[in-house]
Formats: sequence, structure tokens, C-alpha cells
Amino acid sequence: MTAEIRNDLVLATEHINAPPEVVFPYFTDPTLIVTWIGQRAELDPQPGGTFFLDMGEVAARGTYLTVEPPYRVVFTWGIPGNDELPPGGSTVEVTLTPDGDDTMVVLTHRGLPPTEIHSHRGGWEHQLAQLREHLRLAAD
Amino acid sequence: MAEREHSTSAAPDAVLRALADPHRRDILRLVQHDELPAGQIAARFHLTQQAVSQHIGVLKQAGLLTERREGTRRLYRLRHESLEPVRELLAEFWPDALGRLKQAVEAAHPRPSTRKP
Repeated sequence: MTAEIRNDLVLATEHINAPPEVVFPYFTDPTLIVTWIGQRAELDPQPGGTFFLDMGEVAARGTYLTVEPPYRVVFTWGIPGNDELPPGGSTVEVTLTPDGDDTMVVLTHRGLPPTEIHSHRGGWEHQLAQLREHLRLAAD
Repeated sequence: MAEREHSTSAAPDAVLRALADPHRRDILRLVQHDELPAGQIAARFHLTQQAVSQHIGVLKQAGLLTERREGTRRLYRLRHESLEPVRELLAEFWPDALGRLKQAVEAAHPRPSTRKP
């Protein structure tokens, strides 16, 4: 697992011991996505369709832009009520590349703060920290 | 993770506010590898020297720039370590999530241990 941030983008990669056909639905099926992120999901995996993740006190909302099973999915991502990271304010692109019988997942999150950040004190930083905490709790 | 002493270390808030301006982010990109004098920084943008000086002041206060004097010139360069708190915050979120994705997928689809490639 690796990660880096360049300017306003986060790049994360993960090697998974399963083929893309198995991994892909974990980004589009509400019952599968909540096994790794969020507690409840409303997903309509088609261009323009809803992407909604309830993570307790924090939610992420966006729309699917591209759905190309089993190799690529792109959706917007934001936090309702958060001016620095509004719904649709940033874009998450996931590509699943076959690696033998396995999958290399490359996730790029573009348009994140600090590009979008304006003047609020620590707003998105707090939200992200909270989000992370929730995810940790949800994972236990 | 590096434990270093910096007299100019600023709160993450100051760093985030400094990064909130697109011109200041452009300036940081310009000096992330090369040390440049203010005049040369101004020449790269459609900005007055005064505006650039103000931006440099904000970046310096946030601890994002180092300043070095060479004769009458002042040279600036990005302090990479000052971005560390922001970098860590953003860089942890998705890797953490993908780590859980890996666990979830592999737990639901275990590979037979006898399988040969």
C-alpha cells in the first residue's frame, strides 16, 4: 500500500489477491461498499447516478461519472454542508488493473482541498479527521 | 515522522490558509525545487512585485518558505517539511480505506492455498 499527495491530488494504491471482476462491485454495490467504507450506502452506478455514503456523523455525496466494469469507475465526492469540500467538489477515479490473477487498485482523488479551501478555520481538516475516526471505528 | 526543531513552525491552520490562494500555490510550485529571488518569482506571474511580496510574506509566516540572503538579494525556497501535516492528513484517508477493501475482498474470496500460478 502506498500513497502520495501532489498539489491537490491524493494517489493511493493497493494490491488485492482477487481479480478485477471480484473487486469492482465493491465500488458499486451498496452492500459490498459498506464492508470497507461507511455504514450505509445509496449507489446508482451509472453516469449521473447517486453516490452516497453515510458514515455516521459525516456523509459523502456525489455522482458517478464513469462506470466501466470491471476496470474503471469515476465518481464525484464531497461532504454536504461543508463549504470547502462540497458535494461534487472533488473527483475520485479508481482503476483496477489485472496483475496475474490479482488486481492493482489505483485510486486518485483530485480537486481536494487545499485547492478548494477558502477561509474556514480547519473546517475540512476537522471533517476529514472525524471521517477517519469513524472509519476506524467502523472497521473494528 | 521526522522529529525536527523549527522555530518557524506554524499551526496547520496558517498553512491551510496560506495554501488557500491559487497564486501562493503557484509560487510554491515554482520554488519547490529551485531557490529563486522575489524578482524572478514576480516575473513568472502577471502580478506586481508588491503583490508577490505580500504572498511571500504570508507563505513565510506560515513556515512554508525559507529565506536566504545573498548580497542584496533574498532567495526563497519551499520548506517541504512544512507541508507534512497536511500531506499526512490527506495521504492517510484513502490508503486506510483501500487497506480495509483488501481485507474485505480477500476475506470474502479466499484463494485455495494449493493453487499454483
